[in-house]
Amino acid sequence: MRTIALRLLAVFALVCGAPASAAPDDHAGALAALADVRAAVTEIVRIEDGYAVGHGPYLRAAHRAMNALVGRRDDGYAASFGDPGDGAGTLGHLDTMLDKEGSSLWTPAIEGAKANVLAAADNLQSAFGEKEMEDYQADLTRALANLALVVGRPSQDGVLGGISGALGNTTLGVPAGIPSVSGCALPARTPAYGIVAQRLVYVALPRRSAATTIPDELSVARVVVQGDDLILYTRASDSAMAVCRRTAHLQRTRAVAPAKAVPWYTAAQAHDGIAVYRKSCLQCHGADLQGTAGPAVAGTEFLTTAKTNKWTLSDLRTTVFQNMPFSNPGSLTPKQYADVTAFLLASNCYAAGTKPFPQSDSPAFAAIKLGPIPAANPSNPKLRTCTVK
Amino acid sequence: MLRKAIPLVIVAIVSLVAVSRLSAQSTWPTADSYVNADKDNANWILPARSYTGNRYLTSTEITSANVGTLKKAWATNIDARGPLETSPIVWNGTVYVTSSHNDVYALDAQTGAVKWHRTYKPHVIAFSANRGVALGDGKVYEATLDGHLIALDAGTGKTVWNIVAAHDTTNTFFTMQPVPYKNMLLLGASNGDWGGIGYLSAFDAATGKRIWDWKTVPGIGEPGHNSWAGDSWKRGGAAIWSGVAIDPASNTLYVDAGNPQPDFLGTIRKGANLYSNSMVALDISGATPTVKWYHQFIPHDTHDWDPAMPPVLFSGTVGGAQRNLVAAGDKGGNFWVLDAGTGALVYHVAVSTQKGQNTEPNRKGDVACPNTNGGVEFNGGSYMPDTNAFFVPSVDQCGLWTSPGTATYVSGQFFLGGAFPKLVGPSTGYMSAIDIGSGKFLWRKHLAFPQIGGALSLSSGIVFTGGVNGDFTAYDAKTGNVLWHHPTNQTIQAPPGSYSAGGKQYVIVASGPAGINFADPRFGQGAPTLEGTYTHSTKATITAFTLP
Repeated sequence: MRTIALRLLAVFALVCGAPASAAPDDHAGALAALADVRAAVTEIVRIEDGYAVGHGPYLRAAHRAMNALVGRRDDGYAASFGDPGDGAGTLGHLDTMLDKEGSSLWTPAIEGAKANVLAAADNLQSAFGEKEMEDYQADLTRALANLALVVGRPSQDGVLGGISGALGNTTLGVPAGIPSVSGCALPARTPAYGIVAQRLVYVALPRRSAATTIPDELSVARVVVQGDDLILYTRASDSAMAVCRRTAHLQRTRAVAPAKAVPWYTAAQAHDGIAVYRKSCLQCHGADLQGTAGPAVAGTEFLTTAKTNKWTLSDLRTTVFQNMPFSNPGSLTPKQYADVTAFLLASNCYAAGTKPFPQSDSPAFAAIKLGPIPAANPSNPKLRTCTVK
Repeated sequence: MLRKAIPLVIVAIVSLVAVSRLSAQSTWPTADSYVNADKDNANWILPARSYTGNRYLTSTEITSANVGTLKKAWATNIDARGPLETSPIVWNGTVYVTSSHNDVYALDAQTGAVKWHRTYKPHVIAFSANRGVALGDGKVYEATLDGHLIALDAGTGKTVWNIVAAHDTTNTFFTMQPVPYKNMLLLGASNGDWGGIGYLSAFDAATGKRIWDWKTVPGIGEPGHNSWAGDSWKRGGAAIWSGVAIDPASNTLYVDAGNPQPDFLGTIRKGANLYSNSMVALDISGATPTVKWYHQFIPHDTHDWDPAMPPVLFSGTVGGAQRNLVAAGDKGGNFWVLDAGTGALVYHVAVSTQKGQNTEPNRKGDVACPNTNGGVEFNGGSYMPDTNAFFVPSVDQCGLWTSPGTATYVSGQFFLGGAFPKLVGPSTGYMSAIDIGSGKFLWRKHLAFPQIGGALSLSSGIVFTGGVNGDFTAYDAKTGNVLWHHPTNQTIQAPPGSYSAGGKQYVIVASGPAGINFADPRFGQGAPTLEGTYTHSTKATITAFTLP
């Protein structure tokens, strides 16, 4: 049961975060995590393939596999059996990678891998207590199945790809110190790692040395010879190329997509918010929303501040609904608060949609970061604000 | 011009005299000028006139007999992006003032004509306010809303140096008027409601180089640190908003630290929360300040009732004995008198309605008085030795306080653990005269509007103050009778000052839009004033008054 619950968790952990390339040590961390898993698998497979008398050697193998997976900081670590891993354990490495602000394209895969490590550890724990050989083997077989998912496969770039999939298809595959270039074009020099939207599109290597330098976990889908270089395209390259084509098309047609088309409010709400703003906000925040006694609430001045302070839509909502108007917080009706928030979003050139801004908080708002909107088409280009009608 | 008309023979002598006179006029205040500022009726060179912090003048031209004829000499409109809180600095015929958004003006003291005007467009964190400039050695110093300390050429307004003086510009700004002392500029950081820790800094007035910081919340291992539960001290607040008083003879600086944070949630910061809501006497003779004594007015405050009134050092008679005292006032509606040497409480007087002060804000909500902008505000009071009386304007409001029981730090936003209270009931004010000898009211006026303008007293028996309804009023110091008033038709949130120019005494005050804290629905409806009604103004004005 616990295994299933954990897997479900891993699937739910598919969150879409801000673009963040892998920190240099994340690549090394992923490789070390993989090495620990493989050490654990080797322990289990070796005892299964061999022959031993009595419980001792079997128990020992399960404990050593456990040690490699959980690391010496975990309660499940039993030092007396020895550790075929590096001491930090797969779990330790994965936790270090996940214990950072923001998320990356590879985060779901690594979260999934972590869930499967926990499931494997659960099965090993169960094996420690088994009396019958049959039961012991069943536990270890389940653990091996979990670990197969942890390792994953390079051909899969989502949560099912495991650590290999993340290494083979995302920025996690780029070693520290190697420059990454835009994957939409061929590199000026090699070796180079081509990246598009956190996807690893290709690894370009000089032909002479390619045979010895192709990364282990690369998911090569296509190989192109380009002069003296080999361009090894990954499984992720197809979807990445689609992104390249779309971007190029947008640039050619100078599309005027008004802001990020996230429909957080309706135009009707924003319209109703005009009256609320005039009555309760204008005196301090000004007719042009640039602030008089209070701060600016729209345009470059506001959105730059929002970006600096990492404000989310949830922060904006809380400030408006709970702290405003300053002289009488909480004095407006929920509808008035929703309307005036819609008015503020519209004034900041966020696009309107069909779904109204809710009168109660939404957990999703905490993940929406506010900041300048490059694609916006402001009616006041100097302040970069939009007039609400 | 003069020299040309005079025969060459005597030019030498005359020019010698002229030069010495000129140099006396063109030089800038010296360390002695600041120490003796209370004896110089021509100029006003420190925020509250002298290092004592007491807005009080002796031997003035304006008396209770002639104040009734006081007339507007000039009025100059300045940048009106927010309320004016500026305390004018006056030196040799020039008045230096600031707008809420840090514009700086040099005005002619006799005509109000703008000599120069330096504009500024700061990033505003929460609200706009500035309490004025400091003057020294040919420079005008201003601390800004975006955390800078800027030195301008006093003659032209051009920038001489400009430093980032706030440690964290996302949650710290400056409203305080810098205070020149010896080679230093003293400046407190306004970060007490945004998740910072208060600090008082000293900067080299010549270069802007930081000399020291004194933090208002004791760090690990420092005395007082245990008054904060867990890690709560890290965002403990206790900002320094208002002015300081200094005793130059002993190098003692008196400063009030503001309320603890999160403002309305005490459960996550159990303890007294030092040095929040305290007056601290610092020895500033050494390389870094050391605490001589502290007196905490409201331990573990959960209502943002900080001691907003700048300290006033004075020698008063209590129980028949002359004592060195220091006065304070807080937004909780208390006027405090302490022994200046030890910090021991002499007594305190409630100057505003007090109710429900011991209940921490909760989900249900409770009424407590004063409201968050109530009690004694940031311009404070004035002591008149002639009558042994202290004059304190105050705000009388109650509020409904709530707290959800949690506080989340969001960079650049209020860190309150609740919301600012809602005004409950009327919004009025008091002008109180307190007999220092007995701690009892000499007289008291209940006024229709909050009184935050601060008091200026003249030994001739007059007290000036301004209300947020725009009335600028001269009271008889002995009786509280109104001797003179002038409707500015703008809110007065700035303190009155006085200077002399061209042989005449002037009284000066700034007025402007209501701003965030003192906006009042009555303004739009023609609120009652001594003169008639008040209509909300969008102008900001410096007005000087003189006798005809």
